[in-house]
Amino acid sequence: MTDLIVSLLAAFAAWTGWRVFRVDSMVRASFSLMLSFVAVGGIGVVLSAPYIGIATIFMMAVEMMVMAIFMVMFMMNPAGLNPMVMVHQHRISIAAGLLAATGLGVAILSTPLPSNPVPAEAPVVAQLGHELLGPSMLIFETAGVTLLATMIGAVILSSRRGRFGAADEGARPPGLDPGGPPAGRRPESGGGHHHHGGHS
Amino acid sequence: MIAGLVLAVLATLAFGALLAVALDGRLAILAAQGARQRVETEAPDRLNRDLAPAWYLALAAIGLSVVPFAEGAALIDSPVGIVVWGSCEALIVVTVFLHGWSPNAPFPLIGAYRYAAIGLPVLLPSMFVLIAAALPAESLSFVAIVDSQRELWNVIRQPLGLPLFCIVALALTLRGPMDYADAADIATGTSAEESGPARVLWDIARAAMLVSVSAIAATVFLGGPLGPVLPGPVWLWLKIAGLMALFVLGGRRIARTTPSRMLSILWVILLPLSFLHLAISGVLAL
Amino acid sequence: MTLIIVLLGAAALIGIGLYGALSQQSFVMLMMGLELMLNGALLAIIGFWSQALGGMPEGQLLAILVMAVMAVEMAVGFALVVAIYRKRQADMTESIGTLKQ
Repeated sequence: MTDLIVSLLAAFAAWTGWRVFRVDSMVRASFSLMLSFVAVGGIGVVLSAPYIGIATIFMMAVEMMVMAIFMVMFMMNPAGLNPMVMVHQHRISIAAGLLAATGLGVAILSTPLPSNPVPAEAPVVAQLGHELLGPSMLIFETAGVTLLATMIGAVILSSRRGRFGAADEGARPPGLDPGGPPAGRRPESGGGHHHHGGHS
Repeated sequence: MIAGLVLAVLATLAFGALLAVALDGRLAILAAQGARQRVETEAPDRLNRDLAPAWYLALAAIGLSVVPFAEGAALIDSPVGIVVWGSCEALIVVTVFLHGWSPNAPFPLIGAYRYAAIGLPVLLPSMFVLIAAALPAESLSFVAIVDSQRELWNVIRQPLGLPLFCIVALALTLRGPMDYADAADIATGTSAEESGPARVLWDIARAAMLVSVSAIAATVFLGGPLGPVLPGPVWLWLKIAGLMALFVLGGRRIARTTPSRMLSILWVILLPLSFLHLAISGVLAL
Repeated sequence: MTLIIVLLGAAALIGIGLYGALSQQSFVMLMMGLELMLNGALLAIIGFWSQALGGMPEGQLLAILVMAVMAVEMAVGFALVVAIYRKRQADMTESIGTLKQ
């Protein structure tokens, strides 16, 4: 029974993961990725890791919402009404993806895997808490400091004001064809709100 | 036992939603709305447009399922109940966004983006407040949180908690000062292009969400089913009804500010305030 | 058996993620590929922890660390995308061709 649920969820995670790169809208793509994470979280819950599983769902729902917002900020086609393909080195990528998946698959199937499941009544959430604030406190605190550094770094990187003047000073949109004249608005002219950047 | 709890959740959701619609004075409006024809927009995302109200309703049901109706009796008695509710909150923001995005029309989309921008920072105080309530209980489970309030309700022990959670509740149920999704200033926002039964279902889901959020607030801050003389579920229902009335009244009385100012308030005032609340609660719980 | 299913699912996710990270032109889509690979890693960790480690708490700790890595990747990634967008007004990988010189 567990196996059936887990295989259904794993298949769903892989399918929605595949849909991410097949749907024609950024919003659909990010929420498809969210569904993939939700399925993995579901597997976590089924495999007696309730905290990890549900925290994955929580975190990824927030993250993909942020992603959808960013998508629409940057993309010229947020709603996905026009079909579009925006890929490069397509064949190599397909080959690399297939190679990685089959390689890992063969490795998994040819390795004798240990079997030592979690005891059914183990207090896993309490164990995790004691581990985080006990033996592994240094790791946990390092992760915390890393996140703090990330926050500061992200704010500095994304801020328009910088030590060497405004970040978008002299910014030129890319040309419609390589080396061509810049397309879209220039910051100095303060043009329209919509940037139909010529990157298509 | 389980059948009883399922029945309790469904009955609470149904009667509570009815009460919420009645408190809003919208029973007649909803009844008339149900007979209307459906509006079709150009090239909508049909799947998400049709599913969004159902998702919203389902999230309300899941939220109510983690609430203990009597001491130690919750339908989803998860050791990480708070995280379950937290995921519900995050998915509510996603659902409201999808509800506005899917019709592919201007006003719903504006509502969706406004709500996503406001909803994400609202989740942070919510998490801090709920974690603060988990500290004296030394557990993430709602059953343990109720148990920890036997001596003193959290509303007194952690005085900042309930007011902060009220803001979260108004945002999650799209009400009054925090209604940046379905507000009148953008022609009812995410539901502007919706009419007929789908609109009724969305409004019912909003009402059900009010029940759910009130139940969580009652459990975390008002001791849930704890109380003298009357049986546990009755106490819980009374507290839910009281909080629902509070949210409806507050939603009606307090004015809404512009989204940009609300964003500043959320990031600059409420987030540090909730962090302070967490720190104080942590020291007190030591 | 459960472990094999979980690991095969994780392998599929990593393969799809690698394809996405290599093939997408948009930075945000590229990051989705990276996230998908981390998703596969998370799935494998959950599987190993639950089926092969007998519930060693360190396994859960590793899963938490993967989540922290995802958060860092998202935050820094988006900050870089914003910085590049300010400079180049584009969010495509081709727009930072000057790195080649």
